[in-house]
Amino acid sequence: MAVSGLTSRKVRTLLIMLGPVLGVAAIVAAIGINESSKGHLKAKLQELGTDLIVVNASAGFGFGQDPVIEAAAVGRVGRLPDVVAVTGTRQMSDIVTVPFAGAEDYYRAFPVPVIATGLDLPSTLEVPLVSGRFLNEFDESSGARVAVIGRDLADEYGYLRGESRTIELNGLQYGVVGVLDYVLLEPSMDSAVFLTFTAAMEDWGLDDPDPSRLYVRAPVNTRLVAQEIPTVVSLGGPDGANASVPTDLLDAQSQVDESLNNLTKMMGGLALIVGGVGIANVMSISVIQRSSEIGIRRALGHSRSTIAIQFLFEALVVGVLGGIVGAGVGAGVVWGVAEYRGYTMVLSVVGLAGWALVSVGVAVVAGLYPSTKAARLEPLETLRLG
Amino acid sequence: MNPAGPDGADEVILSLEGVSRVYGEEVQVRALDGVSMEIRAGEFVSIVGPSGSGKSTMLGLLGILDLPTHGVIRVRGVDASELSDAERSRLRGEAIGFVFQQFHLIPHLTALGNVETALLYRGLSSRQRRGRAMEALEQVGLGARHDHRPVQLSGGEQQRVAIARAITTQPGVVLADEPTGALDSRNAENVLEIFHDLQTPDRAICIVTHDLHVADSARRKISMLDGRIVSDEQLVRS
Repeated sequence: MAVSGLTSRKVRTLLIMLGPVLGVAAIVAAIGINESSKGHLKAKLQELGTDLIVVNASAGFGFGQDPVIEAAAVGRVGRLPDVVAVTGTRQMSDIVTVPFAGAEDYYRAFPVPVIATGLDLPSTLEVPLVSGRFLNEFDESSGARVAVIGRDLADEYGYLRGESRTIELNGLQYGVVGVLDYVLLEPSMDSAVFLTFTAAMEDWGLDDPDPSRLYVRAPVNTRLVAQEIPTVVSLGGPDGANASVPTDLLDAQSQVDESLNNLTKMMGGLALIVGGVGIANVMSISVIQRSSEIGIRRALGHSRSTIAIQFLFEALVVGVLGGIVGAGVGAGVVWGVAEYRGYTMVLSVVGLAGWALVSVGVAVVAGLYPSTKAARLEPLETLRLG
Repeated sequence: MNPAGPDGADEVILSLEGVSRVYGEEVQVRALDGVSMEIRAGEFVSIVGPSGSGKSTMLGLLGILDLPTHGVIRVRGVDASELSDAERSRLRGEAIGFVFQQFHLIPHLTALGNVETALLYRGLSSRQRRGRAMEALEQVGLGARHDHRPVQLSGGEQQRVAIARAITTQPGVVLADEPTGALDSRNAENVLEIFHDLQTPDRAICIVTHDLHVADSARRKISMLDGRIVSDEQLVRS
């Protein structure tokens, strides 16, 4: 009986429920997405390890060419205390790579990165091979035309595990000897071709085996090592270098997410407040429209408090339903985003219940004024006697 | 018909003692001016008078929907002014039934639901409420239409639902405000008949009306003018 005022005006009830639903959904989604992405970042940090340093050559005094790090610096960095592995790479340009003759047009438009690399790349990045082997000393000393390809590229080429096949680099046939697994830190490597520096020099006119980027693994004192590296690389010479710990960037990213999250929470809170105002508003109008019902109830012996409780109860129902639906919608959004971005969904059940309760609280507070107003109505004025 | 009449032994259900009701503060309107009267169980009373004579004010006060500015209203001997809102509401619900000119049915409830409204908050189970409401609907001849909503009923039927709602609580007095005012003559006659049927030795009926035919069908007729009772006569039924 008490909710008949809600069920008989379904559209209105749904509309006033929209406020709490949106508010709770926004807050739940904001928190859930943030937690899920944080969990994802944490997992990613765990996977990447927080001890990898990336060193990029920066423009020194030399002009007209891409900045590089001299090959000798690789050895110097490798000899630093706490450094356990170091590998230099250099991205080559103007090489069109195709899986077979005749596919040039497409791959000219969407070039595959070609990377000359040291032999320790898998161990430095701690990425295994999914098939075959990586480039080895013999490949390097002989300058053999062999290549390792990234996992995405292998999929794209339809490369079968253990298959003997070649790919074509500007018309030169290279034998594929292995497939590197996904490199989380450098997703571009997933679709790259890796060569030895010797092959790069013999076939592609590279003057010297100077890398443009170093990957350095230093399990202890990672940041201290990162600070030393630029000096070790340049030794006061013209070669500059920037060293960074990529996982620090991820940490920063999670900080950015935090502020975005706060903004969304605030907006959700605002939606809840606006929703509350909406409830108060619509219920006040409802009190006027139902004044004759209120009058007759009073005439039938319902006390002022009974009337007030009835309206409060309606607000309560709106709040409870709005809270539950909102929490559900929010959880659904979190699930969708987690699914879409490949996160593991992190959602606190206590949090869901908590925000649903906040919705109930807002609705009840919003219902106080109209309820009081309903209770104060003078039955004689609403019944129009005589 | 039921025997009725003021034979002294009948319980006084409502009494007004020197009751005045003044509206407004700066410009005061004395809607009721020192009225004293009693309504006893078993009476059939009509209150007549022109617009502004105070009969609606009187009805509001008789139904303790309003309280007097001066004087005392007693319901079954209890001074209504002494009670809290909750107590007064309870007393009203138990002792008094209302019927209005505009029916005042709740549009989204069925006929049965409307009658049940009067039985809410009385510690009755929904089964008991349903049973009693059904009984009252049958008494006014609408048992078969209990699941209809007000819009599906004619004016006369709506007023009969309202009457069922007024009597389902077994009140000592039914107060009716122009109960036939919104009805055509045939329905009005029918509703008036129902009122006569409802009158029992322990229940009074009090109708406020313009309609002289309705007024003259009562046993006792109170005429009002300018907030005072100008005549209070027992009618001899012809």
